[in-house]
Amino acid sequence: MTARKSGSRLETEIERCRSEGQWDKIPELVRQLSAKLISNDDLGELLLGECKLQTYLKENPIKQGASPRGPRPKLVEVRKHLTAALDRGNLKADYIQEASLLMAKLCYVEGEYRDALGHYSRVNLDDMQLVGAPVYRLSMIAEAYATKGLCLEKVPAASPSLSNKNTGSPSSNRGTTEREQEIITCYEKSGDIALLYLQEAEKVCVSGIQNRSPKPGPTAQDQELGYFLETGLQRAHVIHFKNGNLTQGVGRFREILRAVETRTTQNLRMTIARQLAEILLRGMCEQSYWSPLEDPPTVSPLDDPTRQGHTHSKNYSLSRLIMCISLLLLLISESMANRDAVLSRIPEHNNDRIISLQSASVVYDLLTIALGRRGQYEMLSECLERAMKFAFEEFHLWYQLALSLMAAGKSARAVKVLKECIRLKPDDPTIPLLAVKLCIGPLHWLDEGECFAKMVIDMGEKAAEFRAKGYLAIGLVYSLKATDASLRSTQEDYQRKALGAFQRAQSLSPTDHLAAFYLALQLAVSRQIPEALGYVRQALQLQGDDVHSLHLLALLLSAQKHYHDALNIIEMALTELHLNLLYTKVKLESMCRGPEEALLTCKHMLQIWKSFYNLTNPSDSGRGSSLLDRAIADRRQLNAMTLPDFSDPETGGLQDANTLGFSSMFSVCSVHATSIAASRVEQALSEVASSLQSSAPKHGPLHPWMTLAQIWLHAAEVYISMSKPAEASACTQEASNLFPTSHNVLYMRGQIAELRGNIDEAKRWYEEALSINPTHVKTMQRLGLILHQLQRYSLSEKVLRDAVQVNSTAHDVWNSLGEVLQAQGNAAAATECFLTALELEASSPILPFTIIPRAL
Amino acid sequence: MLGSERGVVEEWLSEFKSLPETHIPNYAGSLHLKKSLVPALYRVIQDPNNELLEPVCHQLFELYRSSEDRLRRFTLQFLPELVWVYLRITASRDRQSNGCIEALLLGIYNLEIVDKDGNSKLLSFTIPSLSKPSIYHEPSSLGSIALTEGALCQHDLIRVVYSGLHPQRETFTAQNRFEVLCFLMLCYNSAVVYMPLSSYQSVCRMSSRLCVCGFPRQQQKLWREPCNRVLLDPEFMVQMLTAVYHAIYNGEWEMGREALEDILYRAQLELYSQPLLLGNAMKNSLPESAPDEPRGRKVLQVEVTPTISRISISAITTASIRRHRWKREDCFDYSTDAELSLTVNPPSLAQNHHHPPWDAAAKEERGGRPNSHHSSSSSIIPPITLEDADGMSAGEDSFNINDPDEGFSSGASNSSQPSGTKVGGSVGQRGGSLNSSSSSIKKAITARLSRDKEREREREREKEQEREREKAAEKQAELSADHQAAVRRHHQRQQSPPASITLDAIQLSPIKKHLSFPVGPTLVRTGSTSSSKSFDCMNFSVNGGEDEREEGLGGSDKEGGLPVSGSHRHSTISLQEEHLIRPEDAQDLLSPGAPLTKQSRSPSFNMQIISQV
Repeated sequence: MTARKSGSRLETEIERCRSEGQWDKIPELVRQLSAKLISNDDLGELLLGECKLQTYLKENPIKQGASPRGPRPKLVEVRKHLTAALDRGNLKADYIQEASLLMAKLCYVEGEYRDALGHYSRVNLDDMQLVGAPVYRLSMIAEAYATKGLCLEKVPAASPSLSNKNTGSPSSNRGTTEREQEIITCYEKSGDIALLYLQEAEKVCVSGIQNRSPKPGPTAQDQELGYFLETGLQRAHVIHFKNGNLTQGVGRFREILRAVETRTTQNLRMTIARQLAEILLRGMCEQSYWSPLEDPPTVSPLDDPTRQGHTHSKNYSLSRLIMCISLLLLLISESMANRDAVLSRIPEHNNDRIISLQSASVVYDLLTIALGRRGQYEMLSECLERAMKFAFEEFHLWYQLALSLMAAGKSARAVKVLKECIRLKPDDPTIPLLAVKLCIGPLHWLDEGECFAKMVIDMGEKAAEFRAKGYLAIGLVYSLKATDASLRSTQEDYQRKALGAFQRAQSLSPTDHLAAFYLALQLAVSRQIPEALGYVRQALQLQGDDVHSLHLLALLLSAQKHYHDALNIIEMALTELHLNLLYTKVKLESMCRGPEEALLTCKHMLQIWKSFYNLTNPSDSGRGSSLLDRAIADRRQLNAMTLPDFSDPETGGLQDANTLGFSSMFSVCSVHATSIAASRVEQALSEVASSLQSSAPKHGPLHPWMTLAQIWLHAAEVYISMSKPAEASACTQEASNLFPTSHNVLYMRGQIAELRGNIDEAKRWYEEALSINPTHVKTMQRLGLILHQLQRYSLSEKVLRDAVQVNSTAHDVWNSLGEVLQAQGNAAAATECFLTALELEASSPILPFTIIPRAL
Repeated sequence: MLGSERGVVEEWLSEFKSLPETHIPNYAGSLHLKKSLVPALYRVIQDPNNELLEPVCHQLFELYRSSEDRLRRFTLQFLPELVWVYLRITASRDRQSNGCIEALLLGIYNLEIVDKDGNSKLLSFTIPSLSKPSIYHEPSSLGSIALTEGALCQHDLIRVVYSGLHPQRETFTAQNRFEVLCFLMLCYNSAVVYMPLSSYQSVCRMSSRLCVCGFPRQQQKLWREPCNRVLLDPEFMVQMLTAVYHAIYNGEWEMGREALEDILYRAQLELYSQPLLLGNAMKNSLPESAPDEPRGRKVLQVEVTPTISRISISAITTASIRRHRWKREDCFDYSTDAELSLTVNPPSLAQNHHHPPWDAAAKEERGGRPNSHHSSSSSIIPPITLEDADGMSAGEDSFNINDPDEGFSSGASNSSQPSGTKVGGSVGQRGGSLNSSSSSIKKAITARLSRDKEREREREREKEQEREREKAAEKQAELSADHQAAVRRHHQRQQSPPASITLDAIQLSPIKKHLSFPVGPTLVRTGSTSSSKSFDCMNFSVNGGEDEREEGLGGSDKEGGLPVSGSHRHSTISLQEEHLIRPEDAQDLLSPGAPLTKQSRSPSFNMQIISQV
């Protein structure tokens, strides 16, 4: 070997050509060689044989699974050369080995597996020198091991083995397992040497650039792994998995992955990383994973499913790792797949593009599975977004991106992506329905929602089971539009449309409780109480513990003035996290049981709020740009929202799906005497409050703070009903700290001022509230009353008429209007107003029906 | 229920009660041998009116409470069936007969939410970052994690809590129901490998039925028992999908696939994005045909896949675009300069500037008298260039100083680099001398060039290319100074306790080599093994990467120790062999010790990352 290094230039050149696979140059070099050294004729034969064999293999690559067929004319020539080289026997030992290996390879190609094994047994592969060997020789040895493994697999195990190890011909059973072991050993060695070869080859290539000219050996980087090397690298773990030896297979994967990376192995690494991740995701779980740095469990259930008992002890500290490792592997694969995805769409590259797209899409699917089951939709959506640059017209990736955006709560973008999905697959009713869901819910884009819902309805019979959903969706859109509308005629128009849609949905899908429930809700909003009760009962029969149905039932009962029944229903339905129901409960309690109970409920709500929002915090501890983005978005939202921040649903404004419709029917509360209990409650309330304040950060999602402000305002309202202005004022101050410019806060201040008898101040507060939200009916009503007291009748009438325009079902506004008209001497009109008020009051629930959230 | 089954169950009930504490491990080991017990227990659970149900539930809970893992898993295998029975009865509102199953489920839940010390369990995992090396990869080799702002923000590992701080539950309510059930399924999934096939069948059955009952699709099923729709939670459906996914690949191909379809059907109807997302991914990645042995556990298949890059080089990929973009923006890209020079230069120039591939002799000649070479290619270049280049072993002929920007920019870069260190100083000086001389001759050159109009045109492209190289070289000088600092930092860090990281420790692969392999363990080099504690000790791995590079470059200067060898290498070869400097430099800069200043985001830095593509 050392002699070689100082050998002639020609020899170096030959060695390099062999290493770099430039077989076409060999014949020429051999001619030069034979011209120089006559004695080395055999070497020439060897080289010619090799180059012809390799050229043949390059032209006729061996396909996976296809077994090589008998001798072919071209190979006869090869055999001639090699036999010539071997027969004369005046080659150096190294070259004899090489010739034998080539002969064996030739035998394999011709399908003569036994002969091949014979050759291998003569060479004794294990003794071959690897250290310092020239690069081509490493590849040759690696191929030899792989070929030997292939031959051993092909030759039936029962037959006497030709391998030098098995000549003892042991009993057949032991022989089989031993042979399997031998096969695996062959492949593993082949794989290891192949990796070594690739590393060395790259080194040579690098130093080639260094030492010679800037021009590298042609395409050193896309040196191809032949069939044999590839088999050697991959077949070992394939066999492990085939035999169910998950543990060893995974071990093998890791070894390959841990080898130093070379350019040639990049593709291999991507494949292997993906496959290992696949195995981890599909075949393992937290409790069965072991760390790459410790010995694998001696007996793992993975290897032998029939044996349940085993000695592997659970290692909790590792349970996190499996997720981390599979993610890491997938991210590695992803970044490679992403980098190599073909972007151009010209026809010539179409095949390449499809291949790269498929491999990338497999990786993304695995990534989805890995991240999705841990709820990491945010990160997932970022990953999928990277795939978009090669996903033009690829429905699957688009759809997955849309879904991940939706799951991550990025609604606006999700809708945009869903639009593209609809374009790609116009027949799928699910996609527009998903879009409607977002439009109705977090986005409150009612016009877009209507558009999407109509798409589903237009599909007609094709939409099958989704047709009912389509009607439900459009009904909800109309219903929400009705709530938003400021003109009475449009309101009624939308309500009629909504009712029709819900009825259609209900008749199409009579077993869907949602259809019945929304139909009931719509009927209730239009004050058809008995019919609504019928449908809500139907909904409850289909889905007995649906909270919203129960809530609606309670409100309906309260509209019929069965307050105690309503309270019972609420208490039945009530569980901790439904603040929405608790609002109703507060109302009902102060109605039926006095304000002390209501205050207790308020306190309870504060506690829930605290425990609920503190509990969910740890999961948000992760840092990252996405989180930051969200925070920024929230802050922006907060700024934009200072005006109508949480308006009650009667008048529109913010429509968060989770917004627990704020409402303020304060005047309903009757005033009761205070008691000792009340002061105790008050103390408890402020205790909770102070603890809240200390930990209250002012950033983060908006929703919790709105909820908190609402709770405070409810408490203030109860205090007002108890004629305790000081406490009410303190509560309002808490809400004001959170949302100083909320019209609800200003309205509450006005009420407190009124309670203190400070009419002018109250008027000022109400005017401020109206300047923030000009359609706040409660404020308008109170302002109207104050103006009435100040005897400014015409202005009062104007304000109250506006209020009636905004909400025609507010009976106390009608009542006030009547009073004003009466004071103006317009008795006839006043009577009419009073009658309307009376009529409306008979069907008025304790809180507006629209407190119930409407979402798909 | 058959009498024999009943007998089996009763025997099981009484056996455990009379079992002394010491026999429990034995008992746990033998439990699976009772072949008829598991089917009999399923029968009991499925029948809400069975009088054995209550003692069985109680017993299952006792097993779960024991410290023996195998006993816990014995109970856990019935979880899907229990959940199904519970949910079905809840939907039918027949609560009386449901009590003991509810109690069992809540019991398991309350046991699982706390750890051994009674603290609330917090289940979390770490999102790995590709920017840090692991035993599986080196960040530098993944060029695609370009340094976008977003990627920079996420350089820290993020620990994510996916389940935790669940409160104790005394009763099921409509609101906490799925919180409890989700958590229970999470527990099931974390031990799903240990479950027998019967449990996989049960989980598939449960998923299928929960998703279709009360819906039109139920009519197509063999199972037609009238049943109300069961409300489902998206997160719970995700957990079902996870279990079903495992079943599909571990012996229950047919049932698993059916369950997957049914979950997807339901997720579509409910418009739940999460289960749809996962279900779509699972469905899309299913192998086309059923695996060979559908009833065995051998469905996990891996094939020998051809890994030859099947994609033609001319196709446009992200990588190629990136190369292209850098080129166009006149930001030098030396990752490809070798190929580039071949393609860009017209043949006449190529013969001047690039030696024929195999002409080793010519190369040596040129090494001896670079002078003549230069004068032959362009006589206008004064020999002074060589004085600068001599230290750089004039192997590269590309230092043609005619770029007007050159003196300016490299001067700037030099002044920006404090040349405090010995080594960095030497590099800086060298660069400085190069600059001064180049600027001095620049005018003359350009003046003469302007006279040679016909040459001018011919040289146009060559110049461009050389400008690239020059800039690259400059940047290299700059970078090497950077690198000095980085190396120094590492060196300092190495003085501190974990100083045991020697080159040997990094090179060796700590994982056992199981074969009696004649080659010896060091033959296949193992990458970045120092970082096998991968995720948190960054500075180790940086050293590992560095070592790698030295190896790649021949490792001849190893004896000098890290800092010196690094500097030596840079000073000798950085200017001539830009394309050889492996981007581990970038890695150095990425180390947490070096804050991400503007400097580290300079184009040269980005370029290094990208040049890997």
